[in-house]
Amino acid sequence: MIDEELCINCGKCAKECSFGALDFKEKKVRYQGGCVACGRCMSFCPTSAIMVNDVPNIFPHHPWFTERDRRAIAAQARSGGVLLSSCGTDLPYRSIYDDLLLDAAQVTNPSIDPLREPIETRTYLGRRSGKLCIEKRGKKYELVSGDGAIVSMDMPIMIGHISLGSVSYNTQKALFTAAEHLNIVAGSGEGGLHPDFFNFAHRINSEVASGRFGVTPEYLKRVAAVEIKIGQGAKPGHGGHLPGEKVTEMISQTRMIPEGTDALSPYPHHDIYSIEDLQQLISVLKEATDYQMPVGVKVAAVHNIGAIASGIVRAGADFMTIDGFRGGTGSAPRVIRDHAGIPIEVAIATVDQKLTEEGLRNKVTLCASGSVRSSADMIKIIALGADVASVCTAAMVAMGCRVCQHCHMGICAWGIATQKVELASRLDPKIAAMSVVNLFRAWNEELREVLGAMGIDSVESLVGNRDRLRYVGPNPKMAEVMDVKHVGEGWG
Amino acid sequence: MASRPPGMERQPGGCGIAGCIDVRGGKISGDTIAKMITTMGERENGLGAGYVGYGIFPDRRDEYCLQFLFDNEDAKTRTEEFLKDNVYITGDERVYTRKVSTLDPPYPLVWRFFAIAKEKLDWPRGPIFDPDDRIVELAMQINTEVDGAFCVSSGKDMAVFKGCGYSHEIAEFFDISRYEGSMWLSHSRFPTNSPGWWAGAHPISILDWSVCHNGEITSYGVNKKLVEMEGYKCSLLTDTEVIIYIWDMLVRRHGLPIPTAAFAMAPWYYPLIEGMDEKSKKLATWLRIVYKEAFLNGPFSILVGRREPETTMIAMADRKKLRPLIAGTSEKKDVIFAASEECAIRAVDTKAWTWTADAGSPVIAQRGKGLIRSGLEHPFKGVME
Repeated sequence: MIDEELCINCGKCAKECSFGALDFKEKKVRYQGGCVACGRCMSFCPTSAIMVNDVPNIFPHHPWFTERDRRAIAAQARSGGVLLSSCGTDLPYRSIYDDLLLDAAQVTNPSIDPLREPIETRTYLGRRSGKLCIEKRGKKYELVSGDGAIVSMDMPIMIGHISLGSVSYNTQKALFTAAEHLNIVAGSGEGGLHPDFFNFAHRINSEVASGRFGVTPEYLKRVAAVEIKIGQGAKPGHGGHLPGEKVTEMISQTRMIPEGTDALSPYPHHDIYSIEDLQQLISVLKEATDYQMPVGVKVAAVHNIGAIASGIVRAGADFMTIDGFRGGTGSAPRVIRDHAGIPIEVAIATVDQKLTEEGLRNKVTLCASGSVRSSADMIKIIALGADVASVCTAAMVAMGCRVCQHCHMGICAWGIATQKVELASRLDPKIAAMSVVNLFRAWNEELREVLGAMGIDSVESLVGNRDRLRYVGPNPKMAEVMDVKHVGEGWG
Repeated sequence: MASRPPGMERQPGGCGIAGCIDVRGGKISGDTIAKMITTMGERENGLGAGYVGYGIFPDRRDEYCLQFLFDNEDAKTRTEEFLKDNVYITGDERVYTRKVSTLDPPYPLVWRFFAIAKEKLDWPRGPIFDPDDRIVELAMQINTEVDGAFCVSSGKDMAVFKGCGYSHEIAEFFDISRYEGSMWLSHSRFPTNSPGWWAGAHPISILDWSVCHNGEITSYGVNKKLVEMEGYKCSLLTDTEVIIYIWDMLVRRHGLPIPTAAFAMAPWYYPLIEGMDEKSKKLATWLRIVYKEAFLNGPFSILVGRREPETTMIAMADRKKLRPLIAGTSEKKDVIFAASEECAIRAVDTKAWTWTADAGSPVIAQRGKGLIRSGLEHPFKGVME
């Protein structure tokens, strides 16, 4: 909606709109459809003449064939193709996070004031032996074994895998800078690592996906951790898809593929058709990196995730990321994004239980990803059983992303999910990095506030401590599956 | 009494603890410990108290003493049959108890069996060869499977006397003064709720370990997962039970020296660890990483007793020292004390020298060796340094 009285007809809005929704001709701005509500025009209008409103329903009301359904049908009737979308699903599935409440200390144990007392949030990523071997040598003892490849982080937050290709150079630079600043780890995504970013390598969790883009021993030896990507929450059972339009010269060099071709990673790894094969790849990667860094496995949260996770730990994974069905993506078939997988809350709780039952939980670091929106979500997923919350979308939102779900088009107006130089230059990597740093610092402070209120002074004592959660939702079966008590149930 | 009340899972609350050990080989009368614990009257509300005596069966030093609370004769018969199949019973007797006018019946039947472990135990999950492990497994099996029976202690040359009442009532009920031991630990409870469960009182004991605990472990859910992974069954579901399994696991099974195990349970903060020498720093960091589930978060002070390899008393508080603990020695340094309050020590030894240990740092006293740690030293003194 453009306020004619305020508009000075400068044409800035039309210039900013990368989706071509605004037309500037004869010193007049006209809306011509196709707005994704990214809000770029609104932010840049010098006279605040633009308001982006929800466009009223142009379809006759129908509760079953919603406007969304009818638009999808129309699009497929036109193209005959698979509908693509980006970001996490926008269907209104019930949030389990919002059905969980946190505990606090009263009387029988004291709460702790984080401003007066230390509350620790250091988190380690990697394999643990479960047993330290200390032997007596002469009169003194010596630590004989227990060492392993492990990465230290200042907070239980990881930046997830966002590849160069799906996002711009500036975006990835901002994310890596933030990780360096926060002393946490950031995912490389499956696109390899641009030579400019080799100085961030000690803070990077490198993804080895089915396409093996950019994966060389020289590169792997530089990074902090290596992660085999089996699946992604937004598209379990699917490979990666970077449209050819996004494969510029820079991307082609980093990924080692020809310019302008679609970068398609296969659905499965073509050398992994079973758990034994996965075990071999884990061993190969450990060999290739001289056992100097943890090797992890990332899988999408699917129905039988407990048993799958147990197999992955037995296959030798040092850490494991479970990606819930709400997880984001730069491009995925909408049908998969919206309908496959299970919620991360349930997946983490069941994996934590399964690994505990099998005596494996203290061997592995468990990371949870899939649309952690806030510190509250992060705290709850940790209490459900995760060591680390892996975050992508929230970091992008901190940089300016409006979650318009059009990343796959490669014309992001905010310069994030695009390779077009004129758009990518809109993102200042320094400012974007500071925004991410501020966000995660704030989350970590909120984590410390909550830990203090619970009477816990170190985050590891919250991991899988489902005792400190209560379920307030409508479905007691959900509480039972997650091994969380219902509100009103005490300890005895 | 012996069986867990339905629905009961966990009992938080405040408490008093007291302990004493004669490190020169002498004996301490049960009266002494009773006097120590009953002096701290404000720390209990009549819903549970108990004692553990070490070195109280000098004639049967090498036999396991399995002490039970039974709801009825039938539970005893079933337990006896189960024991006969799995251990050699060398003797048994009714534990002396007497009526206490202020203590409401029903009282449990208290019985003890002396036993020697068989060569091996064929268990559904496979044979167990280590005799100690076999006894742990048997005690847990009875506690979870046999209705109306509860094994309150299972170590050699020691036994637990506990029940639902004030500490002076429990002392009277068991006539604690009839025993003489080399070490005593005791506990009085101020629970915020209690269904009157005799077996749920402290000390909690497994094998030769016993623990008296004042506090509430905020990391309970995490600690429980660790001990369950190691095969311990949480039949009491108190945070104290978890503490004892962690001690057993770290010291007996994993072979960690006591100060090292204590560090895993109450570790130093990272900035302090940074300031350690290289060797200690490495050990401290790996203890925090590998045993992060053993870290006991929240307020506690504990007394831990152990008989093997020599009778030992460990006293420590959490790393913020949110619960009280004071240590003391007699003038001749032959008796070492530890208690929630100084009055408990003064009540039995007016001339004792007392001090408070650092937060999270264990006071360790051992028979024959005296005071090994006063709780003021570097965490790895005697281990790494």
